[in-house]
This record gives sequence, structure tokens and C-alpha cells, in this order.
Amino acid sequence: MTLSAQDRFRTFAQFMRTLNLPLTGITKPDLVAAVAATDDWIETNQTSFNNALPLPFRTAASLPLKTLLFCYVAMRRAGRLHADEDG
Amino acid sequence: MANVRADLEPEAAQFLATVFPQYDRFNGTNFPVSGLRYDAAADEAAFWKIDAFNYGSGNPTLDIIWQAENATSGVVRWEGAIAAITPDADSQDVTTKAFATATTFDDTHLGTTGKRVHTAQIAISNLDSLATGDAVWVRIRRIGSNGADTMANDAWLLQARLTYSDT
Repeated sequence: MTLSAQDRFRTFAQFMRTLNLPLTGITKPDLVAAVAATDDWIETNQTSFNNALPLPFRTAASLPLKTLLFCYVAMRRAGRLHADEDG
Repeated sequence: MANVRADLEPEAAQFLATVFPQYDRFNGTNFPVSGLRYDAAADEAAFWKIDAFNYGSGNPTLDIIWQAENATSGVVRWEGAIAAITPDADSQDVTTKAFATATTFDDTHLGTTGKRVHTAQIAISNLDSLATGDAVWVRIRRIGSNGADTMANDAWLLQARLTYSDT
């Protein structure tokens, strides 16, 4: 199930507050559309993501655990996940 | 005839308990840049208290000097409003005084550089029976919730000023 309209709005609002990257040429309507598209993409591709996970993680992990794993990897790719090992 | 000027510095702003812009500072290359960070999604307000020294007539002009956090496009909807009380004449309870109807102004980011400095100029047309010597409260608000406000991050108020004619 996709996020509610309120959840999408709050994602959009908080993203604007915490973002520290340039938003060159991007306005609020652009961001609103991007949040919706990202949520829709996750909804469409969650089965594909789940199937890509290796066993036994796929069957043993809960949905929140799988979702958080996805977020952690994505955050690290975006340079926003600081690990203790990074010093 | 001359203009009277009241500076509205971020450092002198007052706030209600909620929905207010955060006071913050960039450490610039050569000097610090301080300001009030108005949120992109909320309707945050800051307040100043001045006196209408030598006010003559006409609409005061509110200049809002601002910059973006880092956006290079979009519109910021600013709003200015005043509330005036004439000491010894008005029996109004100051703690329940209301603002006159606000005036809004949509200022478009001029592009190229996110942190370039802009001026939004608002002619305050609802004067709340403003008279010389009045105690005056000024409210500057960003209406981030409005669809006309499209700039996708904080707008920093660097400084503001209210000017009016003494005749």
C-alpha cells in the first residue's frame, strides 16, 4: 500500500527541512511529484526487491527489517549513513 | 519631508511558542551570515516591536532582505502585518490585540546562485489606525503552505526594515 497523502506531504516537508544538497532548478511542485513517483515505484517494485533478497534472509526477515535494509543501503549510497567505523 | 526607518534585525525578533523561524548562522568565508530560517512547508512568523516615531501618513514600506538556503528557483510568499496601539488613548488589552489584515507579496528567486540576496518590498496598506508615537508590533511571515509558494527550501530573512513618511 502506498503512503497516504498526509504521509507523502510530511515526507516532502521533512525532506526540504533536512536536505543539505543544492536544489538547482527544482521547485516544490517538482518535489511533490518526485515523492509520489518514488512511493509509487516502491509499491510497484517491492516484489522484485523481495525476490532479489537471498535466503534465508528473505523468509526470516520481517517487512520493516527489509524496508530498513533498503533504506540503509540507499542512505549509504547517498553519503548520508555514517558508520562508527568511519571514525 | 523625510522618511523614518525602523530596522527589524533577526537578532531582535520575538516568537510565539510554536511555528516560528529558527535563528541560525552561516559561517561565511569572510564573515558570518545570520538570519531567520523560514520553513518551506509551514507558515512561520517572527515579530518585532517598534514605536511609530514621527509617523506622518501613508503606507509604511516593509523591505524584507532574504536569501534561499540553496534553491535557485521558485517563489516565496511573504506576508507583512502591523498592530498599532495608541498609548493612553486605546483601552485595548495589549495581550489580546489583533493584527490588521496582512499584505502578501510573492517574490521570485532570481536564479543562478542559491544564496544571492533578494528584496521583497511590501506596502503595508492596512494601517490599524497608525498614528505617530504608537506602539507597533510588526509580523513577518512566510506562507509556506500556500500553493503560490514554490521555493523548495528555507528562506533566510537576513534583515528587514520598515520605512514611512514623516509628513
